[in-house]
Amino acid sequence: MSDAAAMSDIVDTAPATDRRAGSRERPATLRLEGAVKQAADLCRARMVVLAACFVAAFAIVGGRLVEVMTAPDAPGAVLSDSGMALPAGRADVVDRNGVLLATTLPAASLYAEPRRVLDAAETARALAAVLPGVDLAGLERDLAGDRGFVWIKRGLTPGQQAEIHALGLPGVAFRREGRRVYPQGALTSHLVGFTDIDRRGLAGAERALEADLQARAAEDGAPLALSLDVRFQQVVREELAATIETFKALGGTGIVLDARTGEIMAMVSLPDFDPNRAGEADVDARFNRATLGVYELGSVFKVFTAGMALDAGLVDLASGYDASAPLRVARYTIRDYKPKNRWLSLPEILVYSSNIGAALMALDVGAARQQEFLRRVGLMTPSGVELPEVGQPIYPSTWREINTMTIGFGHGLAVTPIQTASAFAAMVNGGMLHRPTVLRWRSERPPPGTRVISEETSATLRLLTHLVVEYGSGRKARVAEYQIGGKTGTAEKLDPAGGYAEDRLLSSFVAAFPIDDPRYVILVSIDEPQGIEESFGYATGGWTAAPTVGRIISRIGPLAGLAPRGGVLANLPAARGDADERLEAILAAFSAR
Amino acid sequence: MAVWRRHFGPDGPTVGRKLGDMSWGLVALVLLTAGLGFAMLYSAAGGDMRPWAMAQTIRFVLGLALMITIALVDIRLLHRVSYVAYGAALLLLVAVDLKGSIGMGAQRWIAIDLPGLRFQLQPSEIMKIALVLALARYFHGLPPERTGKWTGLLAPLALIAAPVALVLRQPDFGTAALIVAGGVAVMFLAGIALRWFAGGLAVALVSLPAVWVSLHGYQKERLLTFLDPSRDPLGAGWNITQSKIALGSGGVFGKGFLEGTQSHLHFLPERHTDFIFTMLAEELGMAGALLLILLYLSIVAYGFGVAVRSGSQFGRLLAMGVAFAFFLYVFVNIAMVTGLIPVVGVPLPLVSYGGTAMLTLMAGFGLLASVHVHRDVPVARQSGGGPL
Repeated sequence: MSDAAAMSDIVDTAPATDRRAGSRERPATLRLEGAVKQAADLCRARMVVLAACFVAAFAIVGGRLVEVMTAPDAPGAVLSDSGMALPAGRADVVDRNGVLLATTLPAASLYAEPRRVLDAAETARALAAVLPGVDLAGLERDLAGDRGFVWIKRGLTPGQQAEIHALGLPGVAFRREGRRVYPQGALTSHLVGFTDIDRRGLAGAERALEADLQARAAEDGAPLALSLDVRFQQVVREELAATIETFKALGGTGIVLDARTGEIMAMVSLPDFDPNRAGEADVDARFNRATLGVYELGSVFKVFTAGMALDAGLVDLASGYDASAPLRVARYTIRDYKPKNRWLSLPEILVYSSNIGAALMALDVGAARQQEFLRRVGLMTPSGVELPEVGQPIYPSTWREINTMTIGFGHGLAVTPIQTASAFAAMVNGGMLHRPTVLRWRSERPPPGTRVISEETSATLRLLTHLVVEYGSGRKARVAEYQIGGKTGTAEKLDPAGGYAEDRLLSSFVAAFPIDDPRYVILVSIDEPQGIEESFGYATGGWTAAPTVGRIISRIGPLAGLAPRGGVLANLPAARGDADERLEAILAAFSAR
Repeated sequence: MAVWRRHFGPDGPTVGRKLGDMSWGLVALVLLTAGLGFAMLYSAAGGDMRPWAMAQTIRFVLGLALMITIALVDIRLLHRVSYVAYGAALLLLVAVDLKGSIGMGAQRWIAIDLPGLRFQLQPSEIMKIALVLALARYFHGLPPERTGKWTGLLAPLALIAAPVALVLRQPDFGTAALIVAGGVAVMFLAGIALRWFAGGLAVALVSLPAVWVSLHGYQKERLLTFLDPSRDPLGAGWNITQSKIALGSGGVFGKGFLEGTQSHLHFLPERHTDFIFTMLAEELGMAGALLLILLYLSIVAYGFGVAVRSGSQFGRLLAMGVAFAFFLYVFVNIAMVTGLIPVVGVPLPLVSYGGTAMLTLMAGFGLLASVHVHRDVPVARQSGGGPL
C-alpha cells in the first residue's frame, strides 16, 4: 500500500483535493475537509437507520413465514360456517377419487319490486356502489319502471349481501338460490360442462347427466362420480398447453382412456374456458375438440388397416408390399413421406409409416371388409360417449377404390379423437371394444365389451406399435420408465380454397402403455403446429404430439401406481447392437418364422 | 504506470495483497446460498441436473469469476467508469424499447447469440447496479454543502427517472419500483435533507390515483387480488393460494428433499423461478427456509460492514447501495410468496433460475468486494480528464 493511502485514515478526498486545488486558499480546504468528515458521519448514521430497517424487514418476513407455515388448515372451516342450508335440486359432481368438480353453494340473489322503490336514482346509485359491473343507467330505468318484479343481480357474494342489507333500501329484497360453482375452473371445462343461471345443464356432463343429478339430489344427495381423475387431467392439460405454446399451435386435444374399461381418465380440449363464467367464453373455447370435432387423423389409421388385414389372415409379420414407386390411381398419386423405394414388410410399413404399403394393404382387404371393420370398431357411427357434444364421422358416400386406399392411411375419413382412442384401445387391449364413458366403472371386473379382433391380432399390433416407438416415427415418445406402443399421424388440413393445405397440419400421436399389458391409451392431437428451430422446422406428429405423450406417460404412470419396469413383450425377438442393427435383427427373425 | 498515476494518484494495493485481503467470507456465504439454489433446481426438475441445475451452476461459476475479477479492479477505476456503465445500461434499455416498438410486442430482454454462449440479457437488471454506481459517483463528487440544496437533487432525480421511464414502458412495474427504491436509498444515505423525502412521499400519495388509472388490467387485477385473495381464488389468486398451501404443508422440517408434492405435481406455478422459495419451504420446512433467510441476512450484514469500514464516500454509497438492492430482491420475493405483498415478478437472488439476474448479482458482489479490498484507498472527488 502506498504512503498516501496509509496516511489517509478516513478523510477520503484530501490528497486529491490538495493536488488539484493547491493554488486555492488554505481555509477553504479546511472547511471542505470538515464538511467531508461531517458528510461521512451523516452517511454512517443513515446507514445504521437503513440497517435497522433491514433487520426489521427480515424479522417481519421471518415472522410471517412462521405464521404461514404453522397455520392450521383453514379452508374447511371457512366453507362450513356459511350457516345456510344447501338448496336441493342438483347433486355435486366429483372425480373418481371424490375430488369436487361441481357443487352448489347457497347464494342470495337480489331483486326489486320497482313499485315499492321510493327513489329510483338514489337506490340505483347505492346498489351500483356495492355491485361492480352493474349498468347504472339501466338499473335506474328498471327501478323507475312499473313492473312488479325485476332481477338486479343473481348469485351475490355473502359480503355483497351484507352490505346491501345494511343499506336498508325499501323495495329491494333477497331470494335464496343456489349457485353452481366449479372449483377446478378451466381444468374440467369441457368434460364437466356448465349450467345456466337457473342451474339447468347446458353442456358437458352437467347436461348429459341432468336427470341423474336431479334424482340424486332428491334421493340422498350423494355426489355423482365421473371417470375423470383430476390429477391426470392436470397433467394432460399442462403438457398439452406447453406443446401448443412451444409450437405456436391453434389448439389441441388430449385424452387418456382406461384401456380395459373405456373410462375417460382425462379429456382436455384447448383453448378452454372458465365454466364459472361460461357466458364470457367465445365459441372456439367452448368447442370440445375431443368429442365434437371430426378430423382426418392420418397415419394413426395404419394401425387399423394392419388390424383388419391381420385379422382377415391376409398378412403376417413376414409378408409385405411393394413400395418401390409412387402409386398412381385415377388422377391421384400416393407417395411416401420418406420413401424407401423398395419392398416393405408389414412391420416396416408401420415403422416407416408407408402410405403406399398401407394403401396396397387396404386394397387387399377390399372396400366391403374395410367398411365392415371400421363400423365394428365404432369409427363410422358417433361415439357412444354420454356427452351431448358428439361429432358425426364424415366418410365418402360412394366408396371407390381410391377411397379404400386413402382411408387405409387415414385420409378421406374424418372421425372424433375420442372414438379413435377407443378403437385404438380395442386394437391393443386383447381385442375388446368398450364404449368410452365419462362415468366411473365401479366393478373390479371389466365392463362387457364387444370383441372386434382376435387376441392374437391384438398381440401382434402391440408388437408393431412398440416397434414404431422404438425404431420408427414415434421415437420421441420413449420414456425411461415404461414400454410404450403407439402410432404417429400427420394430416394436412383441408384448405378452404380446395384441396389440402401443406403447411396447415393436424399432428397426432396415439399410444398405449405399458405395452405388454396396456392400462391406458393416450391420444394427443395438435392443431396447426408451426415448425420451430428445436424441431428443425418439423411440425409432424412425431415431433410435436409424440414427445407430449411421452411426458404425460412419465407423469401419470407413477400416479396410477404403475411400477417403472422394462416389461418386455413376449413376442419381441431379442436383438443387440445399435437401433438400426436391432431393427434389422428383429425383422430377420420375423421373416425366419 | 505513469499514466495510471497521473489519473488516479498513488498506487493501490498489489494484486497479491488484494487476493489475500479478498472478502472470502462473502464468497463463502454466496457459495452456500447458491448451493442451496442448485439443490432446489435439481429437485424442481424432479431430480435431474437438466434443464435448470446444470445451466445455473455454469452461470454461477462464470459469475464467481466475474465477481473476483471486479473485486481486483481498483476502486478509482470503478469510480471512473461509473457514468460509462450507467450510459451503457441506459443505451441497452433504449435498445430494448426500440426493438419492442419495432413489432416484437412487449420485450424485456435482448437475445445474445454468440457461438457457445446463448442467453437473454435483461438490461433492467444491469441498470439496478449501474444506477447505484452512477449515484454513488455523483454524491461522492458533490460538494457537501450542496447536498442539502435542491440544485443537488436535480441530477440524481434525472439519473433515476430516465431508466424508470424506459422500464415502465416495457411495461415492468415491479422492476421500476425496485429501481426507484434503490436510487432513493442511495440519496438518503448521501445525506439529502429529510424534508425532501417527506415531500416526495406526499407527491407519491397524491399521484396514486393517476398511477392506478395508467396501470394495465392485469396489474390492477393483481393488486385487487392481493387486497382480497378470496376474490378470485382460481384465477388471479391461484399462484398465491397454491403457494400458501405448499408453505403450510411443509411444517417444521419439511417433507424432505425431492419429496415436495405441491411442487412436483406441478400445482405450484413458476417453481424454478419466482416461487422457488415456496418449494424450498415445502421440502426443507421452516428450518430450511429460516436458514436461507439467515444466509441472506448475513450477506446483507456483510455489505453493511464493508460500507461502514470504507474510507471513501463513493465506497460507502456503492457498498450500501448494492447491499440494499440485494436486500430488496430478497424481501420482495419472500414477502410475495408468503402473501405479504402483491405478486410481482422478482426472482429470489442466487436461488431462482435466471441468467442476467445471477450475473448482475455476482457483479454487484464484485463491487462490494472491491470496496472492501480498497477500503483505505482515497478516491479523488473528481476524476481527471483523459482517455476514459
